[in-house]
Amino acid sequence: MITVRSVSKSFGNIEAVKNVSFNIGKGEIFGILGPNGAGKSTIVNILNTLVKPDTGDVIIDKVNIKDDGEIIKLIIGVVPQEIALYEELSAYENLMFWGGLYGLAKQELKANVARTLGIVDLANRKDDRIKTFSGGMKRRINIACSLLHNPKILILDEPTVGVDPQNRNHIFEVIEKLNKEGMTIIYTTHYMEEAERFCDHIAIIDVGRIMALGTLRELRQISKVRDLLTIKLADTDDETINRITSENPLFSFDRAACTLKVECANIGNDTPVIINQIQNSGGVIEKIYTQGTNLESIYLKLTGKELRD
Amino acid sequence: MFKLFKKDLILFFHDQRSVILTFLLPVILITLFAFAYGSIGAYDGRSEPVKLLITDMDETMSSKKIIHEIDSLEDIKMIVSDFIKSKELVIKGKYACALIIYKGFQDSLEYGNSTPIELVYDRSREMEIGILQQNLIGTLMSSARDIIIKRSIEKYLHDRFPGMEKGASDNILKSAIKNDNNKPSIKWTSVVGEKNDTKLGLIQAVAGTAILMLLFSVAMVGTSILEEKENGTINRLLYSPLKASTILNSKMLFAFFISVLQLTTMFLFAWLILKMDMNVNIPGLILMIIATSFAVSSLGIFLAAVAKTRQQAQNLSTIIILVMSAIGGSMIPLFIMPPILQKIALLSVNYWGIQGFYDLFWRSLPLEEILPKIIILMSTGVVMTLGSIQLFKKRIMKLQ
Repeated sequence: MITVRSVSKSFGNIEAVKNVSFNIGKGEIFGILGPNGAGKSTIVNILNTLVKPDTGDVIIDKVNIKDDGEIIKLIIGVVPQEIALYEELSAYENLMFWGGLYGLAKQELKANVARTLGIVDLANRKDDRIKTFSGGMKRRINIACSLLHNPKILILDEPTVGVDPQNRNHIFEVIEKLNKEGMTIIYTTHYMEEAERFCDHIAIIDVGRIMALGTLRELRQISKVRDLLTIKLADTDDETINRITSENPLFSFDRAACTLKVECANIGNDTPVIINQIQNSGGVIEKIYTQGTNLESIYLKLTGKELRD
Repeated sequence: MFKLFKKDLILFFHDQRSVILTFLLPVILITLFAFAYGSIGAYDGRSEPVKLLITDMDETMSSKKIIHEIDSLEDIKMIVSDFIKSKELVIKGKYACALIIYKGFQDSLEYGNSTPIELVYDRSREMEIGILQQNLIGTLMSSARDIIIKRSIEKYLHDRFPGMEKGASDNILKSAIKNDNNKPSIKWTSVVGEKNDTKLGLIQAVAGTAILMLLFSVAMVGTSILEEKENGTINRLLYSPLKASTILNSKMLFAFFISVLQLTTMFLFAWLILKMDMNVNIPGLILMIIATSFAVSSLGIFLAAVAKTRQQAQNLSTIIILVMSAIGGSMIPLFIMPPILQKIALLSVNYWGIQGFYDLFWRSLPLEEILPKIIILMSTGVVMTLGSIQLFKKRIMKLQ
């Protein structure tokens, strides 16, 4: 559905996107994960034809954006990060206005407005002004405005920023529903759990480069991040500690916290073995913490920094 | 473009603050300025009479004659009061001044001494004092002079011709006073605005205030572009198949439309409520409204284009609009400004707009005489529009 080949873009001396390539299949949810300033918005704007790449090609639904940018705008819907709505207008008026920009016939537009109001579950509030809506409801209308022209591809740019858990779940349901109907979705976020929940493929981006690309499983393999087992010991003497650590060279001991940490290939299988080793060496276990591999740890491993930096 | 225009129109009328600033506030200001310039409520060409307190402590034939003369003046409304109350009322600001005729007034006239008469006044009410000066001094001088002449002749006739009959001496007196009135004078004739029922002050109030408020409303439309940029709707518009030029053109069209609507409303209000004479060159008036609206709306958009943020645009617009309106004649009529300021005024849109409306409503000039001002306004609009397009392409439409 989308092919991005060796795309680079600079603004003055700043290289916003550096030699980026990826493919997105039809009906896929593709996550772009990265902190603010990583280049996510530039990639979104290149896909939407608003920013011309300096080098490289972007082919969307078999059309090169260099050849016909106008057609691309008709097949893409963009949900901006800001709540880009007119607060003084009602939800219905906003939808009619934004949908009207795509040249739909009035009857078709009205039908689409009714349908999208149903999708975001706000049909009962259609006549209320946006300024009376909660933040989460505004976000839902923000999404609805991008669906009115029946796009094949939907780009969501950080759609859950500042949204309460209830509305966030509502937005997740909308995205999953749209995807089930066959819509290709590009989802930019810096919330790991969101990318983990939806995305078939994830591109981890930092300083304009794709650091890693693949499914969550592939990213785990690429990053070589392993599950982490943390064991808090009861007050233990140095002799016992030496015995435990010599038993398994992968153990690392933090004297101040009196904890042992060990990376495991399979935390489920490895945990009983490790507990036995400690107890056989005379150690007394107080607490056990387990941490499976997640995007956060993969991101940390790949970029060397926290995502919210 | 029509969809964007319609959206802006709906948003405009949803925003009560904008509507008040665009229509109600100018109407109030025009009415206030028209009152201030003394141009409404009196279409016989006369102002309200100035009130004058009079205290007659002499109570003689001479003092009563003078009071009678003053009472007959149309521009002065006389109120008789006692000495203490008169002074008190002036001090309290209830009246601008009081004329006190002290005891011995008649005697002083007869004996040629200085007359015991005093005008106590409030110096802060210069305009009323000015009107009084014109009328009061003239009346006092002529009445006192008549009394002095009469007394002198009577004394002369009594001394020289003690047996003269009263009828004969009266004829001599009448003749003497009448002959003395044959003074040389200049005939004053106004050649501008004579055919016009509208007063100059009303034209100044309507044209000056309307253009000033027009600038503010249009600056508000201009800053709405920056507001749209800040809240992300400009970017969303750019995500749609609309072209950037269409978005800008629709904003300009909207600013122009609001300007035409506001100016037209102001003139309709002036015609219907303030009774401004609309018996003018209508094609000229329509062209002047269009040219002024175009120049002002382009300037408002240009000011928004120069600024980087909405706050900056608001501050910049306020300063420039106030300065330009002050030097351009929107706040103070140009004819009372020093010559150097009258020359600087040529740089402001206000000047060309106000002068154009003066030409129409006061001088009743034909279209060809007003055309140069229309051309200057239209040219200003074109230059500002081209500048705005360049700046907007660089600043506003550029994606972050």
